[in-house]
Amino acid sequence: MAIEVHLDDLLHSRRMTLTELAERIDITLANLSILKTGKARAIRFSTLNAICEALGCQPGDILTFAQGEQ
Amino acid sequence: MARTRSFAALPIAYVTLRILIILNWLYGAAILGLLTYTFINPEWTLRAIGVPDGLNAALIANGLRLVAALGFLAVPINHIILTRLVRMLKTVRSGDPFIEDNAYRLLTIAWMLLLLQLLSTLIGAIGKAISSPAFPLHLDAGFSVSGWLAVLLTFILARVFAEGTLMRRDLEGTV
Repeated sequence: MAIEVHLDDLLHSRRMTLTELAERIDITLANLSILKTGKARAIRFSTLNAICEALGCQPGDILTFAQGEQ
Repeated sequence: MARTRSFAALPIAYVTLRILIILNWLYGAAILGLLTYTFINPEWTLRAIGVPDGLNAALIANGLRLVAALGFLAVPINHIILTRLVRMLKTVRSGDPFIEDNAYRLLTIAWMLLLLQLLSTLIGAIGKAISSPAFPLHLDAGFSVSGWLAVLLTFILARVFAEGTLMRRDLEGTV
């Protein structure tokens, strides 16, 4: 997939673990792991909203489109 | 309460289907046996049918043989329907029924129901052709509105199921 997920980098910069994020935004650790490892096929706006709120970031900080990749 | 009832219905349906599969083949064996015997002992056939004098007994006997042969064709068709239903039930029991295989199974069942209706119409037509006031023949076959409605319903259901499977596949991996 050409969409890249930078959740790891954001968590590192915010000094937060995936578990802590999962607890904060009430999304299962399993689902966040799926997202973090790039295995997610789709993301709900509500999930994106919750992550941005918790990490104080923009959607573009979490997701980028890598041109030319499939 | 409704969920408990539906869970109880599954094993009942499973056992019922298994019994029907066996009964279907026994029914087929009986028809085949009877049909074969009518060729081995044609005199017995004519006596058993009891065609009144003045009617073409041979024509009626052959007509009934054709009806029996067509009836036997229903046995493998029934078997396909019943076994597909059993496989679908197994996926429900395993908790994952919205799979592509089940969509194809429903479509197969729809086509088999269509074949059964065509067979029934043909058998009914043959029955009418050899029936007369002197020798009335009442067969449980022919054009059936409810039968054809069931065919239509199953085709539509198969399509709906296929769409549902696609939607479920889209949902997988959605966070």
